[in-house]
Amino acid sequence: MIRLMTMERETLEMDVLLVGAGPANLSCALHLSRLVAAHNEKNKPGLGEIQIAIIEKAAEIGAHQLSGAVLDPVSLRELVPDFEKSAPLEAAVGDEKVYFLTERGKIAAPFIPPPLRNHGNYVVSLNKLVRWLADLCEAEGVNIFPEFPGWEMLYEGDAVTGVRTGDKGLDKEGHPKPNFEPGVDIAAKVTVLGEGVRGSLVKQLMKRLKLDAASDPQVYSVGVKELWEMPDDRFPAGSVIHTLGWPLDSHTFGGSWIYGMKDRIINVGLAVGLDYRDPRIDPHHEFQKFKTHPLIAELLKDGKLIRYGAKAMPVGGWYTIPQLVADGVMIVGDSGALLNGERLKGIHTAIRSGMIAAETIFEALVAGDYSRGKLEVYEKKLKEGHAGRELYKSRNFHQAFDHGRMVGLVAAGISMFTGGRLPSRLAIKAGHEHMQKLDGDKGDLYADLKYDDKLTVAKLTDVYYASTAHDEDQPCHLKVLDTNICIEKCTIEYGNPCQNFCPANVYEMVEDSEKRRLQINFSNCVHCKTCDIMDPYQIIDWVPPEGGGGPNYRNM
Amino acid sequence: MKICVCLKQVPKKDSILRIAQDQKWIDERDISYEMSEADAYALEEALRQKEAHGGEVIVISMGPERTRQSIKEALAKGADRAIHLDDPIFEQATDAAGIGRAIAAALKDEGCDLIMTGLQSDDHGFGQVGLIIAERLGMSSATIVMEVQIETGSVRVKRELESGWFQWVRVPTPAVLTIQSGINQLRYATLKGIMSAKKKELREVKAADLNLTADDLKPLQSIERAYVPEKSKQTEFIEGKPAEIAARLVEKLRFDARVF
Repeated sequence: MIRLMTMERETLEMDVLLVGAGPANLSCALHLSRLVAAHNEKNKPGLGEIQIAIIEKAAEIGAHQLSGAVLDPVSLRELVPDFEKSAPLEAAVGDEKVYFLTERGKIAAPFIPPPLRNHGNYVVSLNKLVRWLADLCEAEGVNIFPEFPGWEMLYEGDAVTGVRTGDKGLDKEGHPKPNFEPGVDIAAKVTVLGEGVRGSLVKQLMKRLKLDAASDPQVYSVGVKELWEMPDDRFPAGSVIHTLGWPLDSHTFGGSWIYGMKDRIINVGLAVGLDYRDPRIDPHHEFQKFKTHPLIAELLKDGKLIRYGAKAMPVGGWYTIPQLVADGVMIVGDSGALLNGERLKGIHTAIRSGMIAAETIFEALVAGDYSRGKLEVYEKKLKEGHAGRELYKSRNFHQAFDHGRMVGLVAAGISMFTGGRLPSRLAIKAGHEHMQKLDGDKGDLYADLKYDDKLTVAKLTDVYYASTAHDEDQPCHLKVLDTNICIEKCTIEYGNPCQNFCPANVYEMVEDSEKRRLQINFSNCVHCKTCDIMDPYQIIDWVPPEGGGGPNYRNM
Repeated sequence: MKICVCLKQVPKKDSILRIAQDQKWIDERDISYEMSEADAYALEEALRQKEAHGGEVIVISMGPERTRQSIKEALAKGADRAIHLDDPIFEQATDAAGIGRAIAAALKDEGCDLIMTGLQSDDHGFGQVGLIIAERLGMSSATIVMEVQIETGSVRVKRELESGWFQWVRVPTPAVLTIQSGINQLRYATLKGIMSAKKKELREVKAADLNLTADDLKPLQSIERAYVPEKSKQTEFIEGKPAEIAARLVEKLRFDARVF
């Protein structure tokens, strides 16, 4: 892309800049604005007016938020003590079941494993919850800017001084259109990165400052999800089912969730570990297959698909948490791998990390010191606190599954009862390194999968239900660094798995006049980040498209 | 030059729409809204005219609280102030007559030189509100406007006609112009624009402020039933000699399908 190096850019001065309007950053902004207000009230004028800004790539707050979700309210209760009165909760968790599925049958778990016990938790829609948090933030004077992605980090030496937002109005070739609007340099004393899973700025920062030098490689799963509107109340709001087993093969980590929501809506999804071996695996297809299981097919009978979406999540846990702090910058939520993979929950830890970050920033503002040394309190408090203890307990969960499902279940079972203790720390490698070469034509893994357009739908049909849109006349935001690898090497070695792991039909190998080439349908992209994670050659770089592009999730 | 732009907030283009239980309209839960496309072009045109000739751009919109998002967007892009008709009584106004009456009442004392609306809204698509406002305020009007040239005491506009034809007309001001989509290139809201929008006047107007009651806004037309187009496919085979088939096919295409 052509970058306009000599152009004059505007600078906007802020005290605190947060990138990404998810649960972590919104909690941080809300908590911080209240801490500052209370401090200024007691010590007039105190810190004076502290300008807090949140930038978000989505067209509206919540539009890129997708989660199961069952919320453990432990941290939200501290942030908003009377949240039950005003937060958009679907229902308190009621009836809970866990099954191990075989192709046609199911084995009910004799008891609900403690990590999956959800008594006292709530079924929520994350994008509704996030919109509600954003309203609370705006009421406290926080500046929230949708349609402004963070494009690059700004530094002074190695200290972070802010973020440059993405340019708007560039055409396909990267040339400015008549309505071109250059990105703005937002300068801040502290920058908080809460971009969600595999953040594009976090990726830049990690590389430059080597924040992952001491941690294990990140491991991820991708969740593929649909909402179904039912004709009756067969699955009451608050009902919860989790399954393990079929259709995923024993080398693939993952499982499903089925949650009852308000207004006769069933929320069903499948998480597939992005460390599977067979390059032909397609998370969308696995999910479609899953719905044909008698248990699910019966449950969804006569219902209507109303929404679709997909999102990766960090599931590596404790040992994969990178260094979360550097001079002038902090990492929160999924961006810092703070999700608990064993409990399938990350919202409560995201909120907690945001709150502790807020307390740390507040102290830094009072002291006027934004160095790593000052901000490190965040990392310490987070790891020693509630969230850290919880993540520490599950520290060997995913690592155990690195060795296959049977080893995983046994090891996870032992570790569950020993508080995470196993005879030794299990080694782990990056998920894409598990992918095995094809070694000849293996055939179509999904030859038996038929789309009836009722229960099962093709990928492109599902993408329609994600309401995703991007201006077509802009540079492609999926940077494939060397497409020769795709055509020459990857086709033979892995059979172009990008066509399979992408849940939105973005990648397509096409043949024009006998020449094979990679076609990137970037406007289908649902911003799940799977391609950036799972590409076996690690040559796909996901960068944010023009602000406002992407899925439009509602109630997801 | 004082220009007022009428904005309507409509369901976002890529929304997945469901019909409401009563089959009178769509189910408004869980959908996103945006400024109706033609209105966005009307706003852009107004901002460009102001930049060229000076003056003020006011935006007016009617609708529930969510409408503020579109109003704020207009302020962020450069409108000077806004009027929001926000009152449950305005929900009575579901047709062009009611909407036009309410907006005309709110603009009566503004003394606008120009009022711009989109050609039609992306949801109801009545295409009438602008004309009703013109009638009620005694202003001249021009529809399907593609270009605006401001003169002293009048405005010269290019109107779109059928089959690629255009027409230039001069209308005396004050006038209402309904603007065609695509006539200019929309600008982006800037960060500074968004910040400064917070300090701009956004006046909330209730029905009582305009001396309007629910009765005054009672719709003159109503939707009988909203439904997804029912798919119907009929196949007819024409038999006979090739020449007869061709003649019959031409007749069908001309009189039944009306493709030429």
